[in-house]
Amino acid sequence: MECLLGLVGKDFAITVTDTSVIRSITVLKHNENKSRELNPHTLLAFCGEPGDTINFAEFIQKNIKLYGIRNNVELSPHAAANFTRRELAQALRSRSSYQTNMLVAGYDAQKGPSLFWIDYLAALVEVPFAAHGYCAYYCLSIMDRYYRKDMDLEEAKDVIRKCIDELQHRFIINLPRFVIQVVDKDGIREIQL
Amino acid sequence: MLSDIVAQYTQDSTSYHGDLAFSSSNAWQGDVAKQFGQLSFDLPNTGNPAEFLHQYTDVKSDHDALIKLAHGTTTLAFKYADGVVIATDSRATQGSVIASQSVKKIIEINPYLLGTMAGGAADCAFWERELGRRCRLYELRNKERISVAAASKLLGNMVYSYKGMGLSMGTMVSGWDKTGPNLYYVDNDGTRLKGNLFSVGSGSPFAYGVLDRGYDHELQKEDALELGKRSIYHATHRDAFSGGYVRLFHMNEDGWEFISLTDMDDLHWKYTGDAAVTAS
Amino acid sequence: MDFAALAPSANSVMPSVHPTSQAKEAAFSPYEDHGGTNLAIAGADFCVIASDTRQSNGYHINTRFAPKTFKLTDKTVLTTAGCQPDCNMVATRVRQHIEWYKYTHNRSISTAAIAQMLSIMLYQKRFFPYYDFNILGGLDEEGRGAVYSYDSIGSMERVPCQCCGSASALIQPFLDNQVRNKNQKGKEEVTAFDPVAKLSLETTLKIVKDAFTSATERDIYTGDSLQIFIVTRDGVEEQRYPLKRD
Repeated sequence: MECLLGLVGKDFAITVTDTSVIRSITVLKHNENKSRELNPHTLLAFCGEPGDTINFAEFIQKNIKLYGIRNNVELSPHAAANFTRRELAQALRSRSSYQTNMLVAGYDAQKGPSLFWIDYLAALVEVPFAAHGYCAYYCLSIMDRYYRKDMDLEEAKDVIRKCIDELQHRFIINLPRFVIQVVDKDGIREIQL
Repeated sequence: MLSDIVAQYTQDSTSYHGDLAFSSSNAWQGDVAKQFGQLSFDLPNTGNPAEFLHQYTDVKSDHDALIKLAHGTTTLAFKYADGVVIATDSRATQGSVIASQSVKKIIEINPYLLGTMAGGAADCAFWERELGRRCRLYELRNKERISVAAASKLLGNMVYSYKGMGLSMGTMVSGWDKTGPNLYYVDNDGTRLKGNLFSVGSGSPFAYGVLDRGYDHELQKEDALELGKRSIYHATHRDAFSGGYVRLFHMNEDGWEFISLTDMDDLHWKYTGDAAVTAS
Repeated sequence: MDFAALAPSANSVMPSVHPTSQAKEAAFSPYEDHGGTNLAIAGADFCVIASDTRQSNGYHINTRFAPKTFKLTDKTVLTTAGCQPDCNMVATRVRQHIEWYKYTHNRSISTAAIAQMLSIMLYQKRFFPYYDFNILGGLDEEGRGAVYSYDSIGSMERVPCQCCGSASALIQPFLDNQVRNKNQKGKEEVTAFDPVAKLSLETTLKIVKDAFTSATERDIYTGDSLQIFIVTRDGVEEQRYPLKRD
């Protein structure tokens, strides 16, 4: 029932996460942050089985931070996404797997912005735009229709606005608040639509 | 010297030693306290211990099983300007039988940390006692009190390592540390949330209704305590798994304070005198 | 590759592999309810712990005398109901630990310490529980009666009186009424938070006997005979009374 979206623009990548924590019929929390900063230019957004998500995300976050400290060079978004995938795949074949879906959004000084889609079975694809969960049904078609390569930030925000409007119009679950984060050459920042 | 003693009673916080089927937990190690300090759980010798457990035990009254465990609850806690209000009912049910009307669902982890009990009574009591032990070891090691964030993370990590095994625990850890009053929700699937207001248990939707309508961060202490008490009362009135007494605690800067223990019957006659309650 | 070499020859002995001879899991059902009822009442300077002695299996009565109450120390008694092997195992292990405690600390263990230890021992079987409902009775450090009630995985509470087992739903309301004076106008209630009941030993014993004779009339798993353990500062005294044997 969670919403996780992402897209790549001209010189930035964006993630959209909802902020509701739902247990049974109750919304336990309205302002939960469902993403972690992996390094100054890589962001991990996640949804899935409660408990698993945060545990896995923080495990990845801490290890990628440790890599940066040890080697004095940060992992690229591509490397971070592949490290995440590998850890998830290895856990999948153990007694304790993680049921976590993720998006890795990043900005590489040489290669520009990128977005990686990873599901709980450790499938990894680099994509121009992506969605996880039920909201994918509504939002993928919107992004198919309106996404263009090399969009600027305002155009990208317009597509995201369309996605959120549609979710709030048609989706049965009430998702009142979203966190929209941008990754570009200056790092990670939260923006308002 | 002291650190030697601390080391004796320390173990890795996430590993569980019950991995071996039929572990020899009753092997004598001389010091009984030390033996019970090392967590170890026996497992049934079957392919899927969790399925075995589900077949024979009943923690939620959702199916009829041989071994009925004590459970059922309304608990709540909320943070406001002057601290944290913590309130619970006191009923425990085993199937449809009321096992006790006098359960202590607010657990004093130490003088400045409280935990609440919802879900399996034994699960909450055991793990919050274990949390108290680890918080004490933290103090001895670091010569300062553990933060509420760290304490709740310890509890979350402990139960997360048993995920899928059938534990049932929904708890709120509250306390006052260097950063002020704090409130965390921790449950058996490993979720840990920081927040201002939580309610857990079968009666929680009823409690949320009254609590959300009356909540204000700037409440006076007296009004905040009354709101907590009243929310529990209304939950016990509509939820058959909740009842008994309202137990009320308040978290101050210098630690928790016991406020009151009120019979639900007395509260009912008091509140039915008020105009607000018209339904009988 | 020489495939002919892989073909079964007349000399080789092939294991007979039949589809149903694959590894399979047999049904594992280690629990049985052997019935029986226990109760304990804490008084100002005594504690009474009682249980019937019938052991049955469905409609079949196994024996008329199977004690399930165990003297642990001079001031603590454990009473158990549920699955007989589990009950015995719990009692044996608690006794073992009490002995070890004595050798390690050179003093006898208090009732409160046994109570906490029993809780942990039951919880150690959280994922493979004992089918066993326990009540621990005895005297506390001040010499007052103390009763601790448990669920099968170690949830523990100190109460003035408690009944468990097959007739618990019949006897517990009776105890609430007679021992705790619950919901009676003009009588002082013993709340669940008071440690002890306000009764003399003589009255307590009458209530215990009444509870069991009445329960025997209405519960098929309770009867045959009654064992009563009375804990006072002089030690533990055991009394026996006949119950109806039908």
